[in-house]
Amino acid sequence: MKKTTIESVIKMKGVTKSYWLSNGVEVPVLHGIDLDIKKGEFVALMGESGGGKSTLMNIIGFLHALDAGEYFLEGEELGRAQDDFTLSFIRNRKIGFIFQQFNLVTKLTALENVALPSFYAGKERVERLARAQYLLNSMGMGDRSHHRPSELSGGQQQRVSIARSLVNDPEIILADEPTGALDSQTGKEVMKILSEFKDRGKTVVMVTHDAHVAAYADRIVFMKDGLVLDHDYKLKK
Amino acid sequence: MKYELLIMAAKSLKANGARTALSMLGIVIGVATVIAVVGIGVGAKQAIEEQYKNLSVNTLMVMPTRGNAASTRVSEEDVPFVLGNSTLIEKGTAMVMGNDTVTYAKEEVSGSVVGGQASVFELLNLKLLGGRTFTEAEVSARGNLVVLGYTVAESLFDDVPVDGVGQFVTVGGRKMEVIGVLEENGSSVGPMTPDDTAYLPYSTAESRVLGTKAQKLLMFHAQSPDVVMLAQDELTQLLRENHRLRDSVADDFRIMDAGSMVSSATESTDTMSFLLTSVAIIVLLVSGIGIMNVMFVTVAERTKEIGIMKAIGAQRQDILLQFLLEAVVLSMVGGLLGVALGYSVLPFLGDYGAVISAEGGLLGFGFSVVVGIVFGFIPALKASRLDPVDALRSE
Repeated sequence: MKKTTIESVIKMKGVTKSYWLSNGVEVPVLHGIDLDIKKGEFVALMGESGGGKSTLMNIIGFLHALDAGEYFLEGEELGRAQDDFTLSFIRNRKIGFIFQQFNLVTKLTALENVALPSFYAGKERVERLARAQYLLNSMGMGDRSHHRPSELSGGQQQRVSIARSLVNDPEIILADEPTGALDSQTGKEVMKILSEFKDRGKTVVMVTHDAHVAAYADRIVFMKDGLVLDHDYKLKK
Repeated sequence: MKYELLIMAAKSLKANGARTALSMLGIVIGVATVIAVVGIGVGAKQAIEEQYKNLSVNTLMVMPTRGNAASTRVSEEDVPFVLGNSTLIEKGTAMVMGNDTVTYAKEEVSGSVVGGQASVFELLNLKLLGGRTFTEAEVSARGNLVVLGYTVAESLFDDVPVDGVGQFVTVGGRKMEVIGVLEENGSSVGPMTPDDTAYLPYSTAESRVLGTKAQKLLMFHAQSPDVVMLAQDELTQLLRENHRLRDSVADDFRIMDAGSMVSSATESTDTMSFLLTSVAIIVLLVSGIGIMNVMFVTVAERTKEIGIMKAIGAQRQDILLQFLLEAVVLSMVGGLLGVALGYSVLPFLGDYGAVISAEGGLLGFGFSVVVGIVFGFIPALKASRLDPVDALRSE
């Protein structure tokens, strides 16, 4: 049998993070996270509220800096990166974000929202809009491209948000409770799209409370009190 | 790509129309005020230039010291003495001035009467419309001759001033022949307004028309503008000598040079313009604070949007530029509207001497853009430095 080497896309060693209250009190949130996510994996992060899932997602997405430990992104140690250019470049090209509340810019149309990351990537307008339209079409949203977010349903807004996360063709998709604001039927449709990302070669990391949603993932990482308790948590049938 | 940021800035401003319009209003009023006051300032300056256009900068005027008019020794006899002994003064005339009436048939005009020597027209830079001026011989002979200013002749001769040449008019009760009419001039220096003046030979004016009520003065031209100050010193010495004043006795005359008169008048209008423009610029600065306030509110309202932009890869400079552009677009549009308002209002300020000048528009518009950049920068900087996670959490 031929042995294949699967490369780590996200690898963390001993990552810690604390928040500081205004009265100077330190609140430790992550106590030393080790994490290894391979290319093309679909990983769900589960755990109780306050367990550090969102903080870990923010660190993975370079929205927060870690306090200590190491973070390798595609083999490169970038946990110490602090300059705005590097951080914004990674957020723009390497990572696509999908949020629970969609986080679309309200005054822009669906098409403009999808195209926005490629604006910051310096792509030409024609190219941006063509790619955005293609992605909206692929999400079944082609006829809604000139609608503003307020004119779209929750499920439609999340599709726009998913299309936006793909526009710069990033390696990693980070989804924070992507079905949290949707009804179960729409949630299933969204999860179907996310689970197809594997076929596009994307690595997906998703935070969820919902076992049905987590079931779409290849692997579940279970967190509690700022630590990873189980790297391959099995859901009870 | 940058033009798209401009479009985005315009869209954002449009989304908050009322707020945008109100904060723009300050800029509009500020720029319009700058245009108006600069217009008034430039107008005042032009008026002074017009007023003094007959005085060349090498003119020196000698007048009796204040309150000394009756007993003064400033007289026509000083002129030949000065011209004969000076090395720096080339021309001069004695003048007497007063007010009287000039009548022709049933028309009567009140105006100035000036008596002068033959050179008075050259020294005052007066041009003939028709006829001739009097000669030195006619001055000596106390000829009953008069050269009329444009307005005087126009009033007496049914709007056709040159018709007056050859006619006889009465000046201060004396019959005089009109030998010339002057071109319209428009200037005025103190009591002298050439258009409203009748010019007589010096001797005639002094002895037959004005008598003791005449105010005497002497007018000289230095050889060149460069030697005016030296000529003034020389003139002082010569007049003291001719008036036989001892060293301990103060001058019984005072000398004014045209350059100083013009520059002091210009200085006072410059001061006025400076004060008015300062007030207008303060209005613009206050409106800049309004812009800053609006931009802070905008940043606060759009914190989540800023978080989204950062999460999808906007750099700090992208966000800084976007918010700065909004402030600049706000102030530029306000500036342009202000320019339009300013130049529409300016023609109605003609009574205050305002004239249309490009300086006001450039200053006002330029300053409005600077105000936008300066006061938009701090809110834009604040936006660019927001923490993305905190910004995303805000509602």
